[in-house]
Amino acid sequence: MGDFILLMIGAILVNNILLIRFLGNCPFLGVSRSMDTATGMGMAVIFVLTLAGMITWLVHHYILIPLNLEYLRTIAFILVIATLVQFVEMVVQKTAPPLYEALGIYLPLITTNCAVLGVAIINIDEGYDLITSIFFSFASACGFALALILMAGMRERFDLVEIPKPLEGFAIGLITAGLIALAFSGFIGLA
Amino acid sequence: MPIRDEFTKGFWEILPPFRLVLGLCPTLAVTTTGINGIGMGLATTFVLVFSNFFVSLLRRLIPRQVRIASFIVIIASFVVIVELVMKAYFYQLSEFLGIFIPLIVVNCIILGRAEAFASRNNPILSLADGLGIGLGFTISLFVLGSIRELLGSGTLLGFHVMWSSFEPFTFMLKPPGAFVALGILLGLMNLISQYQARKGG
Amino acid sequence: MRDIVRMILVLTLIGAASGLTLSFVHRGTKERIEYQTIKFVKEPAVKKVLTGYDNDPILDRKKIGVGTDERGNPIELIIFPAKRQGQTFAVAIEGKGKGFGGLIGVMVGISKDGQLLDIGITSHSETPGVGSRVEEASFTDQFRGLSAKGALKADGISGATYSSKGVMSAVSQAIGYVANFREEIF
Repeated sequence: MGDFILLMIGAILVNNILLIRFLGNCPFLGVSRSMDTATGMGMAVIFVLTLAGMITWLVHHYILIPLNLEYLRTIAFILVIATLVQFVEMVVQKTAPPLYEALGIYLPLITTNCAVLGVAIINIDEGYDLITSIFFSFASACGFALALILMAGMRERFDLVEIPKPLEGFAIGLITAGLIALAFSGFIGLA
Repeated sequence: MPIRDEFTKGFWEILPPFRLVLGLCPTLAVTTTGINGIGMGLATTFVLVFSNFFVSLLRRLIPRQVRIASFIVIIASFVVIVELVMKAYFYQLSEFLGIFIPLIVVNCIILGRAEAFASRNNPILSLADGLGIGLGFTISLFVLGSIRELLGSGTLLGFHVMWSSFEPFTFMLKPPGAFVALGILLGLMNLISQYQARKGG
Repeated sequence: MRDIVRMILVLTLIGAASGLTLSFVHRGTKERIEYQTIKFVKEPAVKKVLTGYDNDPILDRKKIGVGTDERGNPIELIIFPAKRQGQTFAVAIEGKGKGFGGLIGVMVGISKDGQLLDIGITSHSETPGVGSRVEEASFTDQFRGLSAKGALKADGISGATYSSKGVMSAVSQAIGYVANFREEIF
């Protein structure tokens, strides 16, 4: 259990997937303009990433390795993730309309979120077993959601202040992200 | 000359990742030196050029409902080719770029160009578009990588260029430095465009 | 209906074309990737423990089977031969031994007449500054010129008994391979 707590702290705070590993930065800047969208996106990523981490692990260990097709990992994983996202979208739409209402528009964006494919590949490269992979995927996604929501909280305030014209939009967003990342590097000693 | 226009627009008008704010993950992660920036940029260009060409070639054949799936298969195939070739011939670079080579497949620039340009234009124009945007991306990564390398370790392309008492700010090599450097660069570019617009209009 | 057929047909065709191309590229680069991986990971250690050869030990490497692991998969041992004018006069073999923090990998150079030429640590996860001192020349140099037949004698590093023992057992394992598979190795 201690190992899992350490892994969790490591994935959320120390090696935060967005700020330190640089995975999933496109949606990070794209949907962090308001708290609501950030929360929606964060939840959708937690849901899909945990599932994708599990399924890609199974695909790698029970299909690719026995068939000696490890070199097709990238193509296999992206297809699994794309199919999974479509499937989740359909299931959620049918079974839980309120949830679909909340997450629906973010789901298609997740296919090209490199955090999902990135974590799937890290799981394999680090040699995690199934349980650890699921746990690591979940923890990484939580780290993603945390950074996204923090960022949205800051950016909402930008509406109220005057920003130098050339820095408006993405430029100030990036500099803010840098400052948040700087704050997160204070956690380096933890793990 | 439409071909030349399609080629050159990638260098300023829609220069990624500044104008076309896509493909940020590799931009931020691997640009600790200029050389790494070039390596990542060229790998992306290779995939972009070939995927654009084939998507455009097959654009009338692919039914609309499955076009994204088809594009992803085409892009992913070229990514795997890059992965294998880099491991075989540029082992050290591929070790350094690591996970960001397979992640070219989810670089939004590539899928974005396939959807917005290649699936609507002929193969020659798509080739020019891919090459222009790819090289623009490479140059951006090289510039960002060089700035970070210069300030963070006092070297340029591996050679010492700063004066001897120069104290490198390692902050630039760390993750926060990547965000800040890109943000400031983007701000400078906006400043130039605004200045041009004011002078022109 | 026609749409669905067309969709399936196109996707199948694209998939097949991509699969065909990739298996072709994979076959073309496989050898070279294996060579590069071994070169970057093992070459520094191989260069340290072998001298005076005129071949490329990485290119001339051979693999032999040395038993099976607990799951029944064969264990392969890679041998890096040092040749002079086509004659193998020494080999480098990697042995593993359990240290304080995990397995320690040690590249061992052994000459044909049964002498230890030198050792080089390839991988370890020992405590920095304590167990990691097994990498220092003052420790590894002791193995030079020892006989690969008798018992190994070397002074451990004080405070790093487990790490020293791990290196010793890794060296013994490499020596054991040479003793048991002499025919295949030389």
